[in-house]
Amino acid sequence: MELLINLLINGLATGMLIFLLAAGLTLIFGLMSVLNFAHGGLFVWGAFAAVWMYATTGSFILAILGAVVTGVILGFVTEKLIITPVYGNHVQQILITLGFMLVLTEMIKVVFGPNQLAAKVPPYLAGSWEVGDVILIKYRMFIILIGFVVFGIIQFILKRTKIGLIVRAGVLNKEMVQALGNNIKQVFLFTFIAGAALAALGGALMAPYSGVVYAEMGLEFGILAFIVVVIGGMGSLPGSLMAAILVGLAGSFMAYYVPALSLAVNMILMALVLIFRPQGLFAAKG
Amino acid sequence: MSKVLSLNKSIYLIIALALLIFPFVSDSRTWTILLTQIFIFAILAMSYDLLLGYTGIVSFGHAMFFGIGAYSTGIVLDTFGPTLLFFVLSIAIGFILAAVVSFFVGILTLRLKSHYFAMLTLALSGLFLVAAEKWRSLTFGNDGFTFRAPEIFQDRLVFYLLSLGCLIAVFIFLKRFVSSPMGHVLISVRENENRTASLGFKTLHYKVIASVVAGVFASLAGSLYAVSLRFVNTSVMTMDITLDALLMTIIGGVGTLVGPILGAGVIELAQHYLSGLARDYPIFERWIILFGILYIVAVIFFPRGIVGGIQSIYARLTGKKVKVAGPMKKSVVKS
Repeated sequence: MELLINLLINGLATGMLIFLLAAGLTLIFGLMSVLNFAHGGLFVWGAFAAVWMYATTGSFILAILGAVVTGVILGFVTEKLIITPVYGNHVQQILITLGFMLVLTEMIKVVFGPNQLAAKVPPYLAGSWEVGDVILIKYRMFIILIGFVVFGIIQFILKRTKIGLIVRAGVLNKEMVQALGNNIKQVFLFTFIAGAALAALGGALMAPYSGVVYAEMGLEFGILAFIVVVIGGMGSLPGSLMAAILVGLAGSFMAYYVPALSLAVNMILMALVLIFRPQGLFAAKG
Repeated sequence: MSKVLSLNKSIYLIIALALLIFPFVSDSRTWTILLTQIFIFAILAMSYDLLLGYTGIVSFGHAMFFGIGAYSTGIVLDTFGPTLLFFVLSIAIGFILAAVVSFFVGILTLRLKSHYFAMLTLALSGLFLVAAEKWRSLTFGNDGFTFRAPEIFQDRLVFYLLSLGCLIAVFIFLKRFVSSPMGHVLISVRENENRTASLGFKTLHYKVIASVVAGVFASLAGSLYAVSLRFVNTSVMTMDITLDALLMTIIGGVGTLVGPILGAGVIELAQHYLSGLARDYPIFERWIILFGILYIVAVIFFPRGIVGGIQSIYARLTGKKVKVAGPMKKSVVKS
């Protein structure tokens, strides 16, 4: 029982981190039909920025804020420089965002050095609670909490505000949204920046969770986020949450019971979904 | 037009001859090894260009075929002994495995849209990488294993000539392939798949054939690569190999066959020299940034790479119009 709960919490925490990445990715894809292969690069920049800020200022909140600001700035730059010139051409988008991913990863090594950095959990989130004979690690609970809060906020913005309405309408039919007098380019930029900030936030939270940050983890988590977006259905936020939790849980349970398959299980999940239900398990409906 | 063609042909012939006599003139071991490396990656990049440049398919899983070739050769030579016969046999095994894998991958995935295809190939090559890491009894995982190459390849010169021969053979084959009726269908799939289908071509069949041909040649490059190092580990299956092929193809010139060869040359040479410079200026250790930026600039401004650039300058000089086409052509794709 104790084991099951621990595996469950591990899986949920990992799932939430992946969700933060996948949320931006799925909205960007749904709205702009841009598959952003550089998303993992934004994630890793968030992680490094947070570790650096935490080491410099000693404040975890400032570290998170620093990561989010980094994400916003990088998101703005990416959208303006990389995405805008290639709207409407899928092949070019795939190629150029992958190239930018490469540059982002290498820039990490230039700015922060080629070695991996250690990341610490802030003292008030370190340690664990004991409930009966179940040990709940505080930081993991914190990540799960943040994940649900972020999901709630995004859902609120999407469902209850004007900009959310435009974004949702844009996912379904962007020509119509534009014809009705909304500046779709601005909405694109806003969504992209929001997605980038979420990715950076994910990175910032990931750093103390894994204990180390390294430049290549962008691609690893980027791939996980893609898998989640594909399984959940492109453009669907609840779908991404469900799929992220599924991927997180599958990862944590497989790592314990069938370690040989743990690296492959997500790929197999995605391959099955793509072959039998390419629109995803929870596709956004028109 | 025929005059231009014969001009092109004579240039190719001169370059091929120069490369052929180069090792007999120069005594530099470094250059022989470097050029051999370029030839091998040129084969890989050309095979990638058949997908990207001619058929308009973005695959992120090309490393898996390269890896299949490298492991086939490594394992066969290690198990059965380093003779020429087994080397040829291992290449054949690589071909068959690569063909079978690319056939099934193609059938399963090529009906998907470009995004999904790119991701699924990424995932599948990830699976192959995991398999190579985990199947330690066969592959020795990330540690890899060394093996002895056939006696005759101990001489770097022989292997240089073999690689050059393979490069020329693949070049001629692919040149014929893309200018055959089959190749024209592939190009029309790239230009407009729906229209090609409505003309009565089963586009899936053609795309699968392209992916099988590309997979087989990538496997050949992998086999040669393994022999050139006499060592195989999981690095032959990693994303880096696919990225190399991608950079070479894009920077050299997508949708041409000379482009990838040129790109392979530029990237390998730059890698060689820039890592030399890195000893004095540490910033050059990150030479990949330079290429990443160059690559991004190429995708936006020079979608046809070095070769495309030369062609358009040539066309401007002679006042002829050059046909601008390719997968990077600005066109609105409905998702």
